[in-house]
Amino acid sequence: MKATRIVITAMSLKWAHRAANSIRGFASSVIACGCEADIEGELKPSETPDGRPGIAVMIFAMSTKDLEKQVPMRVGQSVMTTATTACYAGIYADEKISLGKNLRFFGDGHQIAKVINGNRYWRIPVMHGEFICEETTGVTKAIGGGNFMVLAKTSRHALAACEKAIGEIQKVPNVITAFPGGIVGSGSKVGSKYKFIKASTNEAFCPTLKGQVKSELSPEIGSVLEIVIDGLDEGAIKEAMRVGIKAACSYGPRKGIYRISAGNYGGHLGKYHFHLHEILK
Amino acid sequence: MKPLLLTLNKPPVSPVDLSPLIPDLLAGMKVAHINKIKLAHGKNSLRVEKLFSVTGENTDNIKIRRSCNKLLYIGKGMSHGHIEVSGDVGDFAGQHMQGGVLRIHGNAGSWVGSGMADGVIEIHGNVADCTGAGLPGDAHGMSNGVVYISGNAGDRVGDRMRRGIIIICGNAGDYCGSRMQAGTLVVLQRTGEYPGISMKRGTIVLAKKPSHMAATFMSCGELKMQYLRLLFKQLSEIGKTYAFLKNYAAAAHRFAGDLASNGKGEILILLQTPRKG
Repeated sequence: MKATRIVITAMSLKWAHRAANSIRGFASSVIACGCEADIEGELKPSETPDGRPGIAVMIFAMSTKDLEKQVPMRVGQSVMTTATTACYAGIYADEKISLGKNLRFFGDGHQIAKVINGNRYWRIPVMHGEFICEETTGVTKAIGGGNFMVLAKTSRHALAACEKAIGEIQKVPNVITAFPGGIVGSGSKVGSKYKFIKASTNEAFCPTLKGQVKSELSPEIGSVLEIVIDGLDEGAIKEAMRVGIKAACSYGPRKGIYRISAGNYGGHLGKYHFHLHEILK
Repeated sequence: MKPLLLTLNKPPVSPVDLSPLIPDLLAGMKVAHINKIKLAHGKNSLRVEKLFSVTGENTDNIKIRRSCNKLLYIGKGMSHGHIEVSGDVGDFAGQHMQGGVLRIHGNAGSWVGSGMADGVIEIHGNVADCTGAGLPGDAHGMSNGVVYISGNAGDRVGDRMRRGIIIICGNAGDYCGSRMQAGTLVVLQRTGEYPGISMKRGTIVLAKKPSHMAATFMSCGELKMQYLRLLFKQLSEIGKTYAFLKNYAAAAHRFAGDLASNGKGEILILLQTPRKG
């Protein structure tokens, strides 16, 4: 996979969050959304290019071409339209995709390019003042789909454990959990009996099919939730999985958490394998 | 490694071209070899050893001591390394620079950074006219890089500049930013007459209202300029010398112009300035 990071700033953190939430909307899975995106973390004014509060957002896609398609479109529709925002590169690398390079044409000839400290910015006059956007953002190699599943007594138990796990994962830099709230309620397997679908329900982990299919679930398990992690490198994903699993396991069987598993899809989906026992050593 | 130290023995009678003494051209040379380099001196030439006492070996870090305004073209065309000068320098310091840092602790003559393409020039003193400008016949003035002047600048600073940033902590003379094609020019004290005359694009940031402005600049009102916030924050992060810029606020009166030219330039007159600049 390929990934980029962008920094969104605004007059207040509230409005930076609004832009960030908009850009990460409908970006849960590359299968149908074209990219996976999520908020990586909040940035203090001292950490942003323009000294305002900001949000770091990471966006993952299957290729640089896909990122080039998704990122400018999302920045244009979600960030530029949010009041008082500005958008900057969060990764500097040799490989780049456009950010403000094409958005500048919204300025209809009134846009101004500025180079400061070697970085090129576009000032696009808009109704709230000026929308400032860096010309490009860097692209780096990344890994998507690190995952683990929490097998619990009920969905209430599973959700409580997963929420705690997500809280810990969010503290790890260079990773995101792109699904809503970071938790997948409908984990999938590769392929389907229907030829026109790339992914379908993971019936081996569906509690309602326990007696019907070759199930991975024991009788006491009534709900399974999955946490999917995208990261910039193997180490970041491993660390996120480690802290997430530990947090989920802290609830234990007495609070309805029975097992931790992971989808490995026969080992055929991607070249990276994260073995849970090794991660927890 | 010790920096290459050139101490001026005695100020020359006529101007001397110091352009051969840059890290690019001195790379790998020993002191004995450097001593034999010929420098243009009026219509004659003289060897380095006649002018300077040379010690040290690090040609990427050159220090010139007891400099005077007869030494021209210091740092001309350098692409990397440091040159630090104690004392005044003559015209064309940092001309056509492509990288590296030229730091002058003294006053400089005209045409500082003329046609420079990259790098940083810091003048801890005053400069004469045409800083960052293009020579007659050149397509444009400086095309990138940063020029910092702690004192005052003469007339026509940034004339025809194409890109880059010039920061003047003191006053600037008349026709500041004239015929600018792009880039950013910041003056933190008073400015002379007709700033930005015939500018096509580019930004002139003035801390104080100029004594006279051309009628071809139209007021766009008093605004919070997001760009200024970015500019001051980014500049303040270059180094300690620039850190004070973070105290400047983003509110400015924007004038668009010069409408007699392309009209896409702007003069931003700051509405608030910190007590200590």
